[in-house]
Amino acid sequence: MKIKSTFVHLANSVLPVLLAFLIGGIIIAMLGENPLDTYGILLSKSLLTSKGFLTTLHYASPLILTGLAIAITFKANIFNMGVEGQMLLGAFFSGIIGAYLPAGMNSVLAKIVCLTVGVLCGAISAMLPAVLKAYFKVNEMVVTLMLNYAIIKILEFLSTGVFRDITAGYVCTPTIQKNAMFSRLGSSRITAFFFIAVAAFAVMYFVMNKSKLGYETTAIGKNPEFAEATGMKVHKKILMLMAISGALSGLAGAGYMMSEKFKFTLDFSGNPGLGWDGMLIALLGAHSPVGILIAAVFYAALKTGADNINLYSMVPKEIVAVIQGLIILFLSIKFLSENSVTGPKIRSLFAKLTNRKAGRENK
Amino acid sequence: MNLLNSILYDTIYHSAPIILCVIGGIFAYKANVLNIALEGMMLIGAFVSTLTAFFTHSVLLGVLLAILASTLFGLIFSFFGVTCKGNVIITGLAINLLATAIAGFVLIQMKTSNITLSYLNIADLQINIPFIRDIPFLGKILSGHPIITYISFLGILVMWLLMYRTKFGIYVRVVGENEDAAKSLGLKTDFYKYIAILIGAVCCGLAGANLSTERLGLFTNGMTAGRGFIAIAAIYCGGGSPTKSAVYAILFGLARSLAVNLSIYAGPAAGLFDIIPYVMMVCVLAVVSIIKHKNNKVRGFQYE
Repeated sequence: MKIKSTFVHLANSVLPVLLAFLIGGIIIAMLGENPLDTYGILLSKSLLTSKGFLTTLHYASPLILTGLAIAITFKANIFNMGVEGQMLLGAFFSGIIGAYLPAGMNSVLAKIVCLTVGVLCGAISAMLPAVLKAYFKVNEMVVTLMLNYAIIKILEFLSTGVFRDITAGYVCTPTIQKNAMFSRLGSSRITAFFFIAVAAFAVMYFVMNKSKLGYETTAIGKNPEFAEATGMKVHKKILMLMAISGALSGLAGAGYMMSEKFKFTLDFSGNPGLGWDGMLIALLGAHSPVGILIAAVFYAALKTGADNINLYSMVPKEIVAVIQGLIILFLSIKFLSENSVTGPKIRSLFAKLTNRKAGRENK
Repeated sequence: MNLLNSILYDTIYHSAPIILCVIGGIFAYKANVLNIALEGMMLIGAFVSTLTAFFTHSVLLGVLLAILASTLFGLIFSFFGVTCKGNVIITGLAINLLATAIAGFVLIQMKTSNITLSYLNIADLQINIPFIRDIPFLGKILSGHPIITYISFLGILVMWLLMYRTKFGIYVRVVGENEDAAKSLGLKTDFYKYIAILIGAVCCGLAGANLSTERLGLFTNGMTAGRGFIAIAAIYCGGGSPTKSAVYAILFGLARSLAVNLSIYAGPAAGLFDIIPYVMMVCVLAVVSIIKHKNNKVRGFQYE
């Protein structure tokens, strides 16, 4: 039974991806390119070469964190759509602190300070919707979405005004100090931030699967009134979960700032943004930590691959955004459910076939 | 006086697309489907209308195709959300992402970052209503808007009639309030949900066409800037009543118009004025929720 349910889970994650790739392939074919070649470039350059794979892991690090940030709240049926904003806030302020730190500071200390600032910013900004949700029953989805726009506008204001690096030819904040940057390991692009992300993953794995809080999260997600009736303090749990979610988002932003971007630009998080990517990853991984880890790597592979298809073929990399949208669309429905109609049907079909075979052999 | 005038004019101007989204989204809300795809439907409407108008030089055709495109998105949304019983929030998010992705993809193919209708003079699309425009103060505020703006304000009345004075409206509300009861009466619940979502899609298509082609003659990706979500917030605040929710939509229009008009006087802090509408929406939502639950004496935690 266990095997069957994992199989169903796996099929529900893999089928949408395949279907989305199929439709994406049709679009590529309509552009007059060979879809198989394009997908070949997409995957081989990002997963099959060691350098490409390390780049993929590098890009996967913030995605693992935002994916976990989404998953922990979605699991409790709280829709924290503000991961994007919290991530940007964490990134911005860790970047600002990183830029104004004394240059001679101990490099480990500098990194710790920057990361802490990022984590705190993320967690604190997640508190407002959490308090509104827990104590005043304000719909958290709308609030977090609105705050996303507000945060983006504020950061735009700050980075074009007060904190603008005047020496640069475009809008950005000053570059962070050398001692706050994560240096690349060897010739690959991977940095120590990847290991921090993996450590955070390990902690979250423990929290979500083995701890009391993880159990309570699932209980609240299934039925908050029952959870309250059995003695869980749902208000406090909501605050705690949102704080964790915000902290993870902030960490993702700070780490991305210190390992990849080094300064805050207006397109810091790319399109559609690390927070939104995190949502796809959490869905793809069915809100389980291990699933998220795999999904994040797969997703980062798409990202690195997208840059490569831009280089090696005529297909624009925006096709990947279309494929992502399709993946989410197909993920919203369950292709196979654990007690679906198709499962038994297929089984009965197999049973019939084997019976017939058996019958033939008997004859 | 001049400032007040332009603030009020802009209030109507900025309210229109949101009112359209609100009155569209209300039917889905009443049918108990959380339609967060409003944003995406509006964006695809904006995109298709400008794209069509760009190639065919016909604004009317642009508006029609915009409605068609957003209806198509509405169909996808309802197929996945209603027929396949998927998670509507995730489906809605997917629609939003898809709309941005498709627009971005086509823009890249056209090798531009935005579509500008250079042949179009926006002033030509503004309609001056005879008699009303001659009223001293009000004339300048009420007259001189593009046609969809007028449609949006008329739409409030139409939607109110449709929801509270027709059989169809009653059926939609029954489906939303108690689906099992509706089924037991022999109502085709899925059918009413489909129609509710599609009404929203048509309105969003209009809103998109209003936003891009009619008002600016320009499309840039992401130009809807969360208006769909603001509409959802307005629906929540208004508790699903067309008139009340429309009032909140106008309130947002006012905030936006204040932000635009006052930022001229703000100097370097002008950028900060853009956050007024979003922050105000959060405050309004919070206040409304607090008032609604003030006399709630239920012990413990209640979900929604």
